[in-house]
Amino acid sequence: MEFRLEGNHKIMKEDTVILGVIGSDCHAVGNKILERVFAEAGFHVVNLGIMVSQQEFIDAAIETNAKAILISSLYGQGELDCDGMRSKCIEMGLDDILLYVGGNLVIGKTDFKIVEQKFLNMGYDRVFKPEDDLQQAVQLLKKDITQKKVNALQAGQDERRTKAS
Amino acid sequence: MLTKTQKIELSDFHEQRQEVLGGWPTGREVDLDHAIEYQKALPDAKRFSLAMKTAEQQGSLLLQPRAGVALVPEHIALLKFLEKHCDLLPTTIDAYTRQNQYQEAEKGIAKSSGSGQSFLNGFPAVNHGLAACREVVESVSKPLQVRHGTPDARLLAEITLAAGFTAYEGGGISYNIPYTKKVPLEKSIRDWQYVDRLIGVYEEAGVTINREPFGPLSGTLVPPFISHTVGIIEGLLALEQGVRSITLGYGQLGNLIQDVAAIRSLKELANEYFQKHGYTDYELSTVLHQWMGGFPEKETKAYSVITWGGAAAVFSGATKVIIKTPHEAMGIPTKEANAQGLESTRQIANMLKDQYLPESEELKTEIELIKQEVRTVMDKVLELGAGDLTAGAVRAFEAGVIDIPFSASIYNKGKLLSVRDNHGAIRIFEKGSVPMADSVYAFHADKLSERAAIEGREPCFQMVVDDIYAISKGCLVGRPR
Repeated sequence: MEFRLEGNHKIMKEDTVILGVIGSDCHAVGNKILERVFAEAGFHVVNLGIMVSQQEFIDAAIETNAKAILISSLYGQGELDCDGMRSKCIEMGLDDILLYVGGNLVIGKTDFKIVEQKFLNMGYDRVFKPEDDLQQAVQLLKKDITQKKVNALQAGQDERRTKAS
Repeated sequence: MLTKTQKIELSDFHEQRQEVLGGWPTGREVDLDHAIEYQKALPDAKRFSLAMKTAEQQGSLLLQPRAGVALVPEHIALLKFLEKHCDLLPTTIDAYTRQNQYQEAEKGIAKSSGSGQSFLNGFPAVNHGLAACREVVESVSKPLQVRHGTPDARLLAEITLAAGFTAYEGGGISYNIPYTKKVPLEKSIRDWQYVDRLIGVYEEAGVTINREPFGPLSGTLVPPFISHTVGIIEGLLALEQGVRSITLGYGQLGNLIQDVAAIRSLKELANEYFQKHGYTDYELSTVLHQWMGGFPEKETKAYSVITWGGAAAVFSGATKVIIKTPHEAMGIPTKEANAQGLESTRQIANMLKDQYLPESEELKTEIELIKQEVRTVMDKVLELGAGDLTAGAVRAFEAGVIDIPFSASIYNKGKLLSVRDNHGAIRIFEKGSVPMADSVYAFHADKLSERAAIEGREPCFQMVVDDIYAISKGCLVGRPR
């Protein structure tokens, strides 16, 4: 299968992303807005809504062959809920999936750099704060998915080259 | 079995009670007779209902923060710090306890222990149990309320009320639809009937526990008549079970005239419906929640939002105001930030308490509008229930007759869309299946066309989104960029 790397809206449209609010968090407003924004940007959005467990995110991603899981947490307990997500993804065979997380991720006013580093260390690809621009998040997601595709393609070529030699 | 709007038989209550107390080991610590004795021995200064009644009579405004952390000593320290600045104390419960996930709460307690921070967003009262909750009550000198968001709050009520908490927030609708994804409304209403019945048992023994249905609901552009309808239904359901002290709530929307009209109409409508349903022996008061939507990140800007809420509370004649903090945009505040929210609100409240808002045609119109809207919906609710309020409420949500914007629950239609008019008041843009007189709907439409003309765009979802983010970005009305 061949695909062009950019400028092809159809390819973007086929990309599925999983959206949801993790843990016991019931903040629904941003979730509904994110659903609209990512859908309008051409993604196929599977919105799991509020109170989604790590397992539910992963099951949905496997079922739909999703490219990314977009996790929100606004109630402060995100640190407890989000930890271990990356290893669980790998365990379930989602080695390459993009993990985005955003919201008020920890309890108490904390320098965002510290929060970001903490979640990057947990294996998340990108970390967002509540006031980040949604269009920027859309652009980053498109860029990251494209990059993953390039990597996969190159890995495939490398593999073929190795086999050929 | 369809839940009926009738007082739970005492024998049924006690039967159910055994099951409730078995929900977590700490439930077995509760003995109702001892609990009533303990409540009776509390000083008047800790009696929430008394503070509300007195303030309502005197026309004064009481200030209450939100606060709760994972561990008992830290929670006590937090409340002791805040009680210098407020009139009423809270204990905000963590999100795991709200979902009855006591195992998860246990992990949060363990992780918080010795870490110097709280990994839970509130106080896990069920896990801590009766003795620890009493330690909290005994460490402070002001009335304590449980504030949470729990669809099944039976065990939490048993433990905290036995421990001497004298007020309990929530309700079968207001703690379900905005807070959960798939808890059937009938179940949450039934579970809250139990809570109200428990409070009725205390009441019969001479102990008044204040009940506060949660007014702001989703906190997102909720039109006053929607939250009023829910509050009145929950008030009636509570009265049915023997509750006497009721505080109805409303979340500030930002347009002063509308906010004042909302609290005034809430009080008048509640009296109207309570009396129409045969209740005369109750104590009604009101609470205004400072803006429940997104906040500006900068603390200086947040103070403006906070004090504007204080102003709305004073001018509307609310009995109590729930305080936001300059850390709102970042999540859970430090105790210092919490105190700052209280201090700034106290300042504006003191400056405004001797002033009043002149009566005006605009105010009168808003009050009458809300009343008419509520009556139209309530008539339909009672019709759907064939006279039974619980059945009516359940069917009303099924049919979208009551529809709470931006709610999490699958049992909410989510077809109603609201947006600000040109002066920042919330108007109906799409009514969905909510019943509304043609003239009233036309009034909303007129108000919205005024804004649409000025902005050069038709009311649309983007306008709704712009309004949702407007205050955090520095304005009330979300004008196009």
